[in-house]
Amino acid sequence: MRNPLTLTINGEQHDLLIEPHWTLLHVLRGQIGLAGSKENCLEAECGVCTVLLDGKAVNSCILLASLCAGRSIVTIEGLGDPEHLHPLQAAFVKHGAVQCGYCIPGMILTAKSYLDEHPDRMPSRDEIREAISGTLCRCTGYQKIIDAIAAVAAERAGKGAQEDAP
Amino acid sequence: MRPNQNTVAGRRLPRLDGAAKATGRYVYGTDVTLPGTLYGKVLRSDMPHARLTRIDVSAARAMRGVRAVITSADVPQVRYGNAVKDQTVFATDTVRFVGHPLAAVAADTLEIAEQALSAIAVELEPLPPLFDPEAALAPDAPLLHPDWQDYVALPVIAREGNIAGRSRMRHGDVEAAFAQAHRVYEHRFTTALQHAGYTEPRAASAAWDSTGVLTVWSNGQLPFEVQATLADILELPVSRIRVVVPGIGGGFGGKLRIGVEHFAALLARQSGRPVKMITTSEEELIAAHPRQAAIITVKTAVSADGRILARQGRVVVDCGACSGSGPGTGAVALQCLVGPYRTPNLLMESLAVYTNKVPSGSFRAPSGPMANFAVESQMDIIAKDLGIDPLEIRLRNIVREGDLGPAGEVLKDVSIEECLRRAADAIGWHDRAAEPGRGKGIACSWWMTTGGSSAVFIKLNGDGTVALTSGAVELGTGALTGAAQILAEELSLDLEDVRVATVDTLHVPYDYGAQGSRTAFSVGNACRAAAADLRQQLFALVAAQHGVPAEEMMLRDKCVVAGDKRIPLADIARQQYTGGGLVARGTALNPPPAYDPARVENHPLPVWNTPSFHAHAADVSVDTETGEVTINRYVVAQDVGYAINPTYIEGQIEGGVSQGLGQALSEEIVYQDGRVLNANLTDYKMPTSLDVPPIESILVECPSAAGPYGAKGVGEPPCIEPPATIANAVAAATGLWITSLPITAEKILLRLKGEP
Ligand code: FES
Ligand code: FES
Repeated sequence: MRNPLTLTINGEQHDLLIEPHWTLLHVLRGQIGLAGSKENCLEAECGVCTVLLDGKAVNSCILLASLCAGRSIVTIEGLGDPEHLHPLQAAFVKHGAVQCGYCIPGMILTAKSYLDEHPDRMPSRDEIREAISGTLCRCTGYQKIIDAIAAVAAERAGKGAQEDAP
Repeated sequence: MRPNQNTVAGRRLPRLDGAAKATGRYVYGTDVTLPGTLYGKVLRSDMPHARLTRIDVSAARAMRGVRAVITSADVPQVRYGNAVKDQTVFATDTVRFVGHPLAAVAADTLEIAEQALSAIAVELEPLPPLFDPEAALAPDAPLLHPDWQDYVALPVIAREGNIAGRSRMRHGDVEAAFAQAHRVYEHRFTTALQHAGYTEPRAASAAWDSTGVLTVWSNGQLPFEVQATLADILELPVSRIRVVVPGIGGGFGGKLRIGVEHFAALLARQSGRPVKMITTSEEELIAAHPRQAAIITVKTAVSADGRILARQGRVVVDCGACSGSGPGTGAVALQCLVGPYRTPNLLMESLAVYTNKVPSGSFRAPSGPMANFAVESQMDIIAKDLGIDPLEIRLRNIVREGDLGPAGEVLKDVSIEECLRRAADAIGWHDRAAEPGRGKGIACSWWMTTGGSSAVFIKLNGDGTVALTSGAVELGTGALTGAAQILAEELSLDLEDVRVATVDTLHVPYDYGAQGSRTAFSVGNACRAAAADLRQQLFALVAAQHGVPAEEMMLRDKCVVAGDKRIPLADIARQQYTGGGLVARGTALNPPPAYDPARVENHPLPVWNTPSFHAHAADVSVDTETGEVTINRYVVAQDVGYAINPTYIEGQIEGGVSQGLGQALSEEIVYQDGRVLNANLTDYKMPTSLDVPPIESILVECPSAAGPYGAKGVGEPPCIEPPATIANAVAAATGLWITSLPITAEKILLRLKGEP
């Protein structure tokens, strides 16, 4: 039977009636219509369903929605829109990091979680590799994704001049 | 218009769908949910080969929330398929692989549908299975399709018992050459089943309208093939089937053949409700359309200075339970077994063979990597034996401009020498100081730009922008951004002035489809033709109005320039609203080159259009304690003819190489007794960000006569050479050639310990 649940998603409150076994991904895609969080393995193996829970990247496909009450949920739709891209979104587009795009929302949120967690440091490319290693991308070989994340980190560190001009 | 004056084509512009994808607004097949939809699931066999003696769905049908249950008894008794119509929607009397569909259910929720599957009673009587394709070739092997002679097949396909397709290419006299050669080498190579690994699973939503028209929202690569296959299965004319492709989360050939569209359509028909289906990762790994495993034997005769005198090759591709793409992909391996080398005598044969495993498909450059792994490994083995540098032996044998290819076609725009030299220079080939456990490898190949026709419609809008309608889908490669760059260039527009329409078979013109490295090439050609048509219409209108001869006009900065007048395209488009608006059409036929039919037998793709040439080089370290391979550097020199958008071409190279490295080092759908042991994304090992080294791309531009501004096909080639390149680099580091893919640490370690 369905139980009431209030979730805070991208800063907005949503009052819902949900079944106890529903995952956060199911609620986002099926109940709220936020389809930017993608679905694939549903077993925490690929990362396309990644959202931010209290700022940390989590796989929403294995997270029970009921456990998210009272916490802040940010999905890709909460980061920016096509007219006002978040710096990570803009960098992904600019550096050619987007191909089919199915892994990209999860990739961008994983990168955001990582950069926010390490605010004071310019990460190395290897550290970025490590940070995104839980998200599978079949299209890009990761190179331009790492370029995009490194460019945002560099800009943040005041080293924007290092970006490759196209 | 010369390419070097281009302002839109040839530039690193951001793709048209980039912002929508980066913000989560882009709509994919899995995102389509129709109002009132049911959810469908498929019941699959858990035995590899069995007689289906009973299937009872009454308990499932009686369950609350179950709206449709279908088995073979509920669907038209039709056989469908690509080269050979040997497939049915459900197993009828015989089950041929673990994963073979037995029944399908549609219910109010996915959970109910799953429960209903377990309520279906199935009785299977095991039959002796056949897993080894070479055993399936034995004269006394049981027939996996006893009725094979009744199946309909394309006329070109030659079949016999368990052989679903046999192709040959021949020239000269190999036996005589073998008898006279300085040396003859013969080797056997094996490769593994590889999943395409798209991150968006195959999905479909289907609904029938009140007039009996079926609409299917699909994430398949070939909407017109989905439409035709559904027409076969449902016994309906194609005009009653509409296929819409919203967006696709990767395909790589794995979404060429129909996925779950037919189940959704049949369930929707029985339930009278829309039905949505998405495959699970387990279903993807046991019952999708992976790249065939192959067994390749190559026998090559050489002179003392390493020149190829003759080559004989045989490739056996394991099709699994149905032929799938096997006959065609097996045949294409033959051109790759010849390679970009002068081969005066050749005799090549491919066999596509049935076994009790998953029916396989056509993953990116379908059989290219397997054949290339075999011949390029052997090239290095020969070089070592003769004491010739691996680069040098290739340079002595490569084809040159005007040579004849394997089908007797004249080879044009040949760039293999430049590719080899640039890849070698970039990896530091001539600086190979002996360092234990470290080595450099090189491999090269050629590949086709697949032909087939394309048409586009373009419409000039009242604001001066253009709508581009094509039947080719955007898989993620950026090919349609490339085509739009060409269209914008031709019409003096900015890239953002081109809007690409969603593919819907109801109104888009036909296209042979997003496959075979052809999309940007072929749709790009059609865009040039459509732009020429539109220009002509614009110039005629301006000529009539301003009395300037059309021959003196040109398009510049979104205006028609006629003498000293500049008339904005937007103005002409708005004026022409009284004349029915401005629409234009362009087609591209991409005909194949002439060839010698005496050289080929039963080959569905006897001659390659606009071949591309490429070379890869790697620097690897092998840990002799663990067998672990580390790739220090990886370089690709690929002839793309003309780089329409260098950024996305690099993206194709980087992504293709990483898939190829997966095939080289880790990816294998592992079967034991007919069951897949690793049917999940943890145990099926695709490269993560920790596994893919930096990849350096060198774009060689040797323009083709046939492609837009000289472009050649780009998408498939990057995954061809990685297995051979890595094998050769590992051999340089260890002295050992691993002749079976994937080259796992275990295999290296066993060989280092002296096991065969
Ligand atoms: S769908 Fe959640 S990790 Fe794959
Ligand atoms: S862009 Fe396609 S999976 Fe990453």
